[in-house]
Amino acid sequence: MKTQGLHILLAALIVIPSIVNLSVSLYNRKLPELFGMPFFYWFQTVWLALCSGFYIGFAHLMDGRVKKQEGEQTLNK
Amino acid sequence: MTTTTTTTTTITIGLDSIVPFVGLFILFIVLGFYGKYWRRGDLNNVHEWALAGRKLGTALVFFLIGADIYTAYSFVAIPSGVFAKGSLYFFAIPYVALTFGVALVTMPRLWSLSKQKGYITASDFIKDRFGSTTLGILIAITGIVSLLPYIALQIVGMQSVLTVMLSGTSNPQTVEEISLLIAFVILAAFTYTSGLRGATLTAVFKDILIWITVIALIVIVPLSISGGFGTAFKDVKPTYVTLPNSLLAGYSTLVLGSALALYLYPHAINGVLSSESAHKLRMSTALLPLYGVGLAIMALMGILVYAVPSAMNFLSHFPESSRGILVVPSLILYTMPRWFSGIALLGIFIGGLVPAAIMAMSQASLLTRNIIKEIKPNMSAKSEIRITKISSTIFKFIALGFVFTIPATYAISLQLLGGILIVQILPAVFFGLYIKSLRKEPLIAGLLVGIFSGIFLVEYTNHFGALTSSLFNTTIFGSLYIAVIALVFNLIISFGGSAIMNRKERLAVIQNKK
Repeated sequence: MKTQGLHILLAALIVIPSIVNLSVSLYNRKLPELFGMPFFYWFQTVWLALCSGFYIGFAHLMDGRVKKQEGEQTLNK
Repeated sequence: MTTTTTTTTTITIGLDSIVPFVGLFILFIVLGFYGKYWRRGDLNNVHEWALAGRKLGTALVFFLIGADIYTAYSFVAIPSGVFAKGSLYFFAIPYVALTFGVALVTMPRLWSLSKQKGYITASDFIKDRFGSTTLGILIAITGIVSLLPYIALQIVGMQSVLTVMLSGTSNPQTVEEISLLIAFVILAAFTYTSGLRGATLTAVFKDILIWITVIALIVIVPLSISGGFGTAFKDVKPTYVTLPNSLLAGYSTLVLGSALALYLYPHAINGVLSSESAHKLRMSTALLPLYGVGLAIMALMGILVYAVPSAMNFLSHFPESSRGILVVPSLILYTMPRWFSGIALLGIFIGGLVPAAIMAMSQASLLTRNIIKEIKPNMSAKSEIRITKISSTIFKFIALGFVFTIPATYAISLQLLGGILIVQILPAVFFGLYIKSLRKEPLIAGLLVGIFSGIFLVEYTNHFGALTSSLFNTTIFGSLYIAVIALVFNLIISFGGSAIMNRKERLAVIQNKK
C-alpha cells in the first residue's frame, strides 16, 4: 500500500513538470511582464529552476527507495 | 561614443583583449595535458581512457554533462535562431527542463546495468540485451553519424569567435583557418594522451568562464539599452514576443523531440556512465536544469541585440545569413570592457572545443568496440585502445573538413537532422531498459523506417534543396518536428511487430502441446 503511494508520488514529480513544459498554450502570453520581459520568456526561465526542485525531490525519494530495497535484500540473505 | 562606433566600421581587437584570450588558452592547454596525471589510472585501459575509470562524483558529472549543453548550440545555434525567427527558437529552454526528467527515469538504470556488465556504450547494452550484433552495429552507426553535424556546429561556434576577433585585419579568412587548425591539433594531442580526464578538467575550466560570461551578459547588455528589456521587446515583430498559433504544435514537438534525443547521443551516455554511483548521477541530473537558465540568457541576446546599435551596425557588414551566429560574440565585443571581451570570447571558443573533443571520443569508442571489434573479435586490449585514440583524432578532422567546405548556416540546420537520426534508437535503448516483450527484428525494421522516413521528410519539406526547416506541415496537426513523426512510425513498427511475433510464438507453443 505504502509503496504504491510512493510510486504515484515519484511519477507525479516527473509527469507534472513534463506536462507544463509541453503545454505551450499555458505560457504563450505577453502579460504579465517582468522587468519588461514578456510572460512567455520569463515564465519558462523561472520554470527551469522549479523543475530542478521537482527533480531533486524525485532523486531523494528514489535514493530512499533503493536503500530500503538493498536493506531488505541483505535481510533476506 | 556612439558616433565613433558608427563612423569607424569595425572595432579591431587590441592587445588588451588578445592577451587574456591567449593567456587563458595556454592555461587551457596545460589543464588538458595535466589531466593525464589527475586521479591516475592505467590509460591503456578503455574504461580508464573513455570513462575516467567511472570515478566522477556529483559535481564533475554535473560539469561534464553540462558541457554537452553549453556548447556552440547555446551561444550560436539558439541565439542565431531567435535573432532570425523569434520566439520559436526559445524551445531550447523547456527542452532542457524536460530532458533531465527523461534522464532521471532512464539513465540510473542504464548506469547500474552497465556497471554490472561492463558496458561502455549504448551499443554494448543493446547487443547484450537483444543478442543481436546487427542491431548493435546499426545503433553504433546511427550514433557516429548523428554526431558529425553536432561536432561541425561546435566548429562553427569557434569560427564565429574568430570572425569577430579578426574582423578588420587583412586576410582574416586565412588567419581564421590556420587558428582553427592549430586549436584542433592541440585538442587532438591532449585527448590522445589524457582521454576523458583531460576533457573533464577542461570542461570545468570552460564552464567557469562561460558562467562568468553569461552573468556579465545579462547584467551589462540590458543596462546598455536605455529602457532595458521593455525597449528591446517593444521594437521587435510580434512573432518575437509570443508564438503565433500556427507554431504551437511545432514548438511542443521540438521540445519533445529534442528532450528525448539528448540522452541518446553517445557522448551524453558516455558522460552518464563515467559517474561514480547511481545516487550521484541522480543528484547531478536533478540539478542540471539550472544550466538552462544560462541558455535562456543566451537566447534572449538574439532579441536584445536589435536594441544595441553599435552591434547591429557591426553585423550589417556581414551577409544576412551569417549574422545570427555572430550575435553573442559581437555583443561581447561591443558592450564589455576590452580585457573582459578577451576572457568571454575565449570561453565561447573553448565552449565549442571541449564538447567537440567529448563527442569525438564517444564516436571513437563506438567505432572500435561496436563495429571494428565485431569484425575482428580477437583484437588485443592494447590495439583496441590504440585504434580508439587514433579514430577519435580522425573524427575531429573529418568534422573540421566539414566546416571548411559547408557554409555556416547549413551546419546549424544539419544539427537538427542529427536529432532526427539519433532519436530513432529510442525504442531499443529506453524501452529496452524496462520492457521485456520487445524483439530485435521489429526494432531493426523500426529503426530503419524511422531513419529513412525522417530523412525523406526533411528533404521533402526543404524541396530537396538546402536545409532550412525541420518542421513538417501536416494537414491535421499543423507543423510538427520531423523527429517526432518518424519516431511514431518507428514505435508503431517496434511495438506492433513485437506483439505479433510474441503472439505467434505463444500460439505455436500451445499447438505443440496439443
